[in-house]
Amino acid sequence: MSDGQPATCFWTARPVTVRSTNLGEGRDARDLRWSAMMVAAQAGDARAYSSLLRECLPLLRAICRQRLREPAEVEDAVQDTLLTLHRVRSTYDPARPFRPWITAIAERRALDRGRGLARSMARNTGLEAADHIGAGGDAEHRLMSADLHAAVGALPVSQRTALRLTKIEGLSLAEASARSGLSMGALKVATHRAVQSLRRKFGMEP
Amino acid sequence: MRTEDLISRLAQGLKPVRRLPSPLAMLALWSLFCAAIMAAAVLVAGLREDFAAWLVNGFALYSMISAALVALTAGYAAFELALPDRDQRWALLPVLPAIGWLVTMGWGCLADLARLGPEAFNLSISVPCLVFIIGLGLPMTATIILLTRHAALIRPTPVAALGGLSAAAFASLGLTVAHELNAALMVLVWHGIAVLVVTCIGALTGPRLMRRAATV
Repeated sequence: MSDGQPATCFWTARPVTVRSTNLGEGRDARDLRWSAMMVAAQAGDARAYSSLLRECLPLLRAICRQRLREPAEVEDAVQDTLLTLHRVRSTYDPARPFRPWITAIAERRALDRGRGLARSMARNTGLEAADHIGAGGDAEHRLMSADLHAAVGALPVSQRTALRLTKIEGLSLAEASARSGLSMGALKVATHRAVQSLRRKFGMEP
Repeated sequence: MRTEDLISRLAQGLKPVRRLPSPLAMLALWSLFCAAIMAAAVLVAGLREDFAAWLVNGFALYSMISAALVALTAGYAAFELALPDRDQRWALLPVLPAIGWLVTMGWGCLADLARLGPEAFNLSISVPCLVFIIGLGLPMTATIILLTRHAALIRPTPVAALGGLSAAAFASLGLTVAHELNAALMVLVWHGIAVLVVTCIGALTGPRLMRRAATV
């Protein structure tokens, strides 16, 4: 597309101007379409937003798969990406290609999750090395509790915080929100995902 | 929760958002804000008594230009880096102006040494420098953190550090106009320490502030 040539946004029927040839480099028809859908989403078009996110899922999964091996971790990283994207959707500039914007967000979330996993593996190694300490009590119970501890430790910080405040300390959503600085919606989603993740890990969910 | 369900939930009741202004527009807004704060501070503190004589001295002009360049480039880099798809090498933008500022001050030290001899290296504590730069730099840092709060989930620490550097460099610029401090070594040490303190506090507390501001 040449400088300043308007592309029609089929979601809003408004022209979207793509500015520079440099920035527009590599903007194929799909990128322009995604860009137009994002513009519509920024204007509050829920249908465009939903379609855009669904169309982007294969790309997001491919990016996260490059950094993470476990399919469940990949899916969690994709969900983290969607939540981040939702929070920073005002930062997308339609004069620039859409793919680098969404790719940068996905890579960051996958990287964060990978780092979290590495930290949790380091902690688990420490636990295994300390297995011989403390002989009393029910061994199976201790093992279960150590596994649970490790699984909670492996959760992303936001999920761990949400779980601790709402399920362990038993605070109300409003109290937990005031304490953590997270919105009530974000707390609900994070708690739900933390519980699902733990259920999956302990085989309590198919 | 299935990813498809999450998408439906995110799209449900989607609210329109105002697209962020470009980094250049944000820089213009930020610079105007800082200029107004500095003008108010100079109005309260008064211009330095030797202002006219000091300004015609070439060294003063170079030090002011280099401090202004640090403030502007650090601010611009912060606004660029706060956006997800920008190259992280933007963080290097203020490096050259910062080296320029240090070279200007080093050159001033040598000039003082030639003019005054070993007396040029007499170092005493300049409380007004610290109070002015830190006292004004910290609230200004909080302001730029608010302006870049969308970086909370992207790269909060470098953005907050660059914001702190920009705020402190603006405060340092304001101080050179208001406070009479002619020994280059004194300026180098006390302005340098104050700018470093504000930048470090910005980097350490910025990410938490951004997260709080982003959830409001």
